[in-house]
Amino acid sequence: MTSVLIVDDHSIFRSGLKASLDDSIDVLGEAADVDSAVRQVASLAPDVVLLDVHLPGGDGGGGAEVITRSSTYLETTRFLALSVSDSAEDVVGVIRAGARGYITKGSSGDEVSRAVASVAGGDAVFSPRLAGFVLDAFGAVTGEQAVADDELDRLSAREREVMRLIARGFSYKEVAAELFISVKTVETHVSAVLRKLQMSSRHELTAWALERKLL
Amino acid sequence: MVGGVCAGLASHLGWSVGRVRFIMVVAALVMGSGVLLYLWLWALTPLQEPADSEPVRRTVPTSALLLAAGGITAVIAVAISETGGNAYLPTVLAIAFTGSAVGFSLTLDRTDAARTGRYTIVVRVLSIVLLLGAGLLLLFSHGGRPDAITAVLAIGMLVLGLGVMVAPFVVRLWTDLMAERAGRVREEQRAEIAAHLHDSVLQTLALIQNRAGASSEVARLARAQERELRDWLFAGSAPTAADLVTELRDIAAAIELEYPARLDVVTVGESGLSSPALIAAAREAMLNAARHAGGDVSVYLESSASSVDVFVRDRGPGVDLDSLPIDRLGVRESIIGRMSRAGGAAIVRPGAGGVGTEVHLHLEALSE
Repeated sequence: MTSVLIVDDHSIFRSGLKASLDDSIDVLGEAADVDSAVRQVASLAPDVVLLDVHLPGGDGGGGAEVITRSSTYLETTRFLALSVSDSAEDVVGVIRAGARGYITKGSSGDEVSRAVASVAGGDAVFSPRLAGFVLDAFGAVTGEQAVADDELDRLSAREREVMRLIARGFSYKEVAAELFISVKTVETHVSAVLRKLQMSSRHELTAWALERKLL
Repeated sequence: MVGGVCAGLASHLGWSVGRVRFIMVVAALVMGSGVLLYLWLWALTPLQEPADSEPVRRTVPTSALLLAAGGITAVIAVAISETGGNAYLPTVLAIAFTGSAVGFSLTLDRTDAARTGRYTIVVRVLSIVLLLGAGLLLLFSHGGRPDAITAVLAIGMLVLGLGVMVAPFVVRLWTDLMAERAGRVREEQRAEIAAHLHDSVLQTLALIQNRAGASSEVARLARAQERELRDWLFAGSAPTAADLVTELRDIAAAIELEYPARLDVVTVGESGLSSPALIAAAREAMLNAARHAGGDVSVYLESSASSVDVFVRDRGPGVDLDSLPIDRLGVRESIIGRMSRAGGAAIVRPGAGGVGTEVHLHLEALSE
């Protein structure tokens, strides 16, 4: 059983989402703005927070602000960003604040449930669109490639392959079959990319953060 | 006959022109009131432009006549003042005439098609010269010692002249300011509407898609509406040039409207090169995926300086190229044949895990 907190300022969307989640997910509570979200994360300690990117209240920082203010719970509570738009611009801010992935609000209940489950299991959730953005932001198409694995500003050859396949619409399982590696390894690569996305000081990424006053 | 006033009045009142003219002449004989009435109507009646007939125009160059009157009275004023006489009346008349000439050219002449921009500029420049010249002459008339009232009037003339000189700039600044303010208000309103729609309508459309399932009719409509709304809300930020990315997105949008499929287009890299063959082949592949497989279709475009790759992937029953009848031109001709003729390559193969089909189009940049 995965416990979930739904944070969205639209009650219709909250109830709709709640109804569409499958039985393995237990909705602990709902919050409609930044301040109540922060309070509920602290008091309910959910496994996963489904977090709208655009939220009223607080200092106007939206979803990213909720994550930064709840940073002490990041070990036990994972954040999955929800956005009405699938433009990566909206999402990079929350990812860099600490979210473990993002999905669009148009995703079906099954998709959301699956994403919640994998985030709860410690994996990152990448949509094709986000994978495409990562490839762009890290200059992977123009041939930039990391030499060492721990390099933060570029993707390794394997990570690039994984990202390309995800962008082509492959599931983790299909990526694993295509590259003859285990699903666990795929997940490791994706988590590594997520970490780079969060920690990297690449110009393309810091520019987003600066623009949104996240630094 | 002179200014078209009688004709205008006649058509307004529904009388005959001759009758109106007769009344005017009779009125003119009664202490000249007809003349005054005529001038008053002539100067102030708005120009009426009937759609089907010749537009009524002020044939007489009013502002030029007013300016001439101003010039004559100014000369008289200066002459009288030079001899030490009482020049109040001609001075005031000169100011009034010239001022009206400028006012007339700034307001009524502007909307008059018969007056060119050059004409109004000439009127204005001559007015400035006249006002400044007459003002200075008056100020230094009678050996530099005009009487007090004449001096005050002369200074008034100079001020008016300077005012006319800067008036166009002030007017332009003012209209610019107003236009900018109006633009800002519009922009604010638009942003407000955008925020509101983003918060309410887009959320609802997302929820509809969420609840209705990816490829249902309702979800498709919601998706199409969402895209339209988004295009409208964020118009201007999107590139207008028809490059490969926008072409593919447009094709996907059009296909989604017709077939029960959701086409997710992901693009990476700068789309430097584009070719009609590639677009046509990609379109065919997307169409096939939507028509025969439906459901979720992933489209991935990767373009670099040296090559372009397009992947179209569906999760349908799959296609076996060899078992396709020869007369089915779809895949063989319009995708594979087209790409090879354009100097590229197309590979059709089963999707990952044996589910569905994936079409891979590849095109190298032409070395020029």
